Amino acid sequence: MKKNILLAAVGLLAIAGAEQQAEAERRQNSLSGDVAVRHRRLLVKNRFELAPLFESTINADFRHIVGGGAKLEYHLGDMLSIGVIGVGSTAIDTGLVKKILPTLERDTNNATREPSVAEFNAHLNSMPFHGAAYVSLTPWYGKLAAFSQAYVAFDFYFQAGVSYAILTSDCPTTICSDPAPGMSSGPGGMNPPDNNPNNDAPLNDGSRLGLYLGGGIHVFLSDFIALDLTVRDYAFSDNPSGADFNANLAVTSDDSRFLHHIFFGVGISIMFPTTVKRTN
Amino acid sequence: MKPLRMRVFHRSVVFLLGLALVAGTALAQPNKGKTPAPAPAPAGGEPEIEIEGEGSAGGEIDMGTDPGPGDLNADLNAAEQNNAAVKAGPLKRTPLSWKDILVVVRKPFLKSRRTELLPMVGTTMNDNMVRHYTVGGQLSYYLTDVLAIGVEGQYYVHSFREPFDLVARQARRLPTVNQYNWSAALNFHYVPVYGKFAIFDKKLITWEAFFTAGIGAGQSEVVPRDTKFPGFTNLLIIPNVGVSMRFFLAKWLTVSVGIRDYVFYDKFEPTDRSPTMNATADQAKDNSTGSLINNVMFQVGVSFWLPTSFEYTTFR
Repeated sequence: MKKNILLAAVGLLAIAGAEQQAEAERRQNSLSGDVAVRHRRLLVKNRFELAPLFESTINADFRHIVGGGAKLEYHLGDMLSIGVIGVGSTAIDTGLVKKILPTLERDTNNATREPSVAEFNAHLNSMPFHGAAYVSLTPWYGKLAAFSQAYVAFDFYFQAGVSYAILTSDCPTTICSDPAPGMSSGPGGMNPPDNNPNNDAPLNDGSRLGLYLGGGIHVFLSDFIALDLTVRDYAFSDNPSGADFNANLAVTSDDSRFLHHIFFGVGISIMFPTTVKRTN
Repeated sequence: MKPLRMRVFHRSVVFLLGLALVAGTALAQPNKGKTPAPAPAPAGGEPEIEIEGEGSAGGEIDMGTDPGPGDLNADLNAAEQNNAAVKAGPLKRTPLSWKDILVVVRKPFLKSRRTELLPMVGTTMNDNMVRHYTVGGQLSYYLTDVLAIGVEGQYYVHSFREPFDLVARQARRLPTVNQYNWSAALNFHYVPVYGKFAIFDKKLITWEAFFTAGIGAGQSEVVPRDTKFPGFTNLLIIPNVGVSMRFFLAKWLTVSVGIRDYVFYDKFEPTDRSPTMNATADQAKDNSTGSLINNVMFQVGVSFWLPTSFEYTTFR
């Protein structure tokens, strides 16, 4: 009896020991719950970021929007920041427009449904100013070595917020002469719609509010200067061609739709204060 | 009596072995009641663990424990364990020279003499009339850790974008577009940039950036403006250049994203086709108009590496 009890006790101890051994094998070192990097330079935390920047549309349909501006951002912590951006721009015809224009008729002919050069040009809009207010998240940071010589810090960030744009188009009354696009006009509506969208007002100017999304990278050239590369999406209601989109033979507000305006930006970020702190 | 003593002896041995087993494993338990011993401070300042280059903690001298193949995280954890083991022990004052200071830790992923198989997909970035999607693959062999030679092949499908329809309806113009059918290339890759980043201050990911340049061939096909007339195909000579990023997930698995510019001279359908002019494909091709095209593609793929593991040939 005593022998059996002793053997059972030894067996239990062995099982418990094996369990503890397995647990010991599963254990992790004391750094497992620690931060990824200690004594790290806090390159953005509690700092203002002022970045003069250049921005251009990517793959615009009718007009490239190219301009310069600035962004001002305050980094509440190491990962979260709030900011605003504003850009003044000019418009440049895309290759598509340059291909279309030489093929259009030189003089307006209402007998055809083809726009003239002047009509086509006058309906296109431009974006002299655009900007956004946003919240930014910086979940990734790290270092890179270029050609095994230059070691620089970088971080990736993602932004979301509200976009704002001022759109302009200039269609003189000599071209946009239809007083009531898509509707009958004259006393008692005696004149039927002309079914010619080429002489309608483009209705693609004014202020726009929309959504803003962005993603980019800071490449720190020093403790307070960084190269800032960003792809930004200003999404709002627009009709860039100013022409009839929904094929009802008139330009109306229904022809505007929610469009993404994708920009690529390059800036130089200057951080204030210019000195950095380190983590423990 | 002797047999009985033997049995008692056996029981005692078993019991002692059991106790020793328990005691041995208990010693291996983490000490939950205590905080880890603080790391010894370097001579000139605070304790510091940096992920790269400057201020890198030393102590990476144990070559004995080799994590299982394919586990990149185990490698990184092993390095941290080595650091902790060195720091937790008694501080041993040994004279140091600059040769003893580890400036750059070894790369956690080696590519030299390994083959990369990269299935990938891509899409057009710079054409506002027609968008191409590609399915393809790359096979690359790394001659060194930074230089590779490889081949690629892609199959294209396309869809028309909004302006293709708008130009027809609003400007009364039928766009002239070509679709791409396939392409193949011989490429060279050069890796000048590598680094690490931390996600949410917890997880370390290693990555690198590389340039690609190559030359190949492909086929484009005219999309007839009027389907009464046949299209024709063009054989293209296609140089390409690009830049990509690669993220290391395991010793045999990486993810790549990149941008590639395929440059070629393409021939388009003549604007004047009628039953009496350029009606056949050959006539249209003879009178086609040409243009230099930059087809910029965004590509993403998952790479599989062979052999699936590697060994370091030098000490850290």
